Amino acid sequence: MSRSWPALLSVVLSLGAVVGYFALLRVPAIRNHPALYVLACALAMAIAAVASWRAPRWPNLTALAISAVLLVLGGYFNFVFARVPAAGTTLRVGEAAPDFTLSDATGAPVTLASFRDRTPVVLVFYRGYW
Amino acid sequence: MQILAISPDPNTKSQELADRLKARYRFLTDGDLALTRRYGLVHARGGPNGEDVPIPTTVVIDRHGIVRWLKLADNYQVRPDPTDVARAVRAL
Repeated sequence: MSRSWPALLSVVLSLGAVVGYFALLRVPAIRNHPALYVLACALAMAIAAVASWRAPRWPNLTALAISAVLLVLGGYFNFVFARVPAAGTTLRVGEAAPDFTLSDATGAPVTLASFRDRTPVVLVFYRGYW
Repeated sequence: MQILAISPDPNTKSQELADRLKARYRFLTDGDLALTRRYGLVHARGGPNGEDVPIPTTVVIDRHGIVRWLKLADNYQVRPDPTDVARAVRAL
């Protein structure tokens, strides 16, 4: 059992990084550094690879397989799937935001210009929940 | 300060939650993405079913209607740090 600690460390590191990231999405410092879970999976895979090379036994090989799968999935998700292409936004810092009217959750119209001279406005565009 | 949260969804539940938390959020629906498109903030075919979705974006507008701070996401997992947005608002 004592010789299984690299395998155990590898599994805890890779699974922990992925589960921990999603569990701590509300913490900006965690959420805004998704590359960290990819890095943790890479480290976990390196540990399992060295352990498997020294002793090709099932705990080490299983840890290698788990960390490799999580590294590929996590890397694809972070570096490919979650990428947002650059946009030609018409907004410019220092220029007026074009006015608009949209309905709120009760259906009442809300106009950007109605806040003028009253309070600053923060617009948060988000993808929605589907 | 007024926060206007804009997405294609109606988000009645989000508004109820914000009201309960006394958060200064008003959820606005841009169902056909007309405003999102006009502002040039569309991520073409970025949704789970290949539909157009908004690029996650935060815009700070001062009392005169001028854009003072702007952040577009290049990875949709990443959002502006709330303290950065708060600092931009306080600087107005």
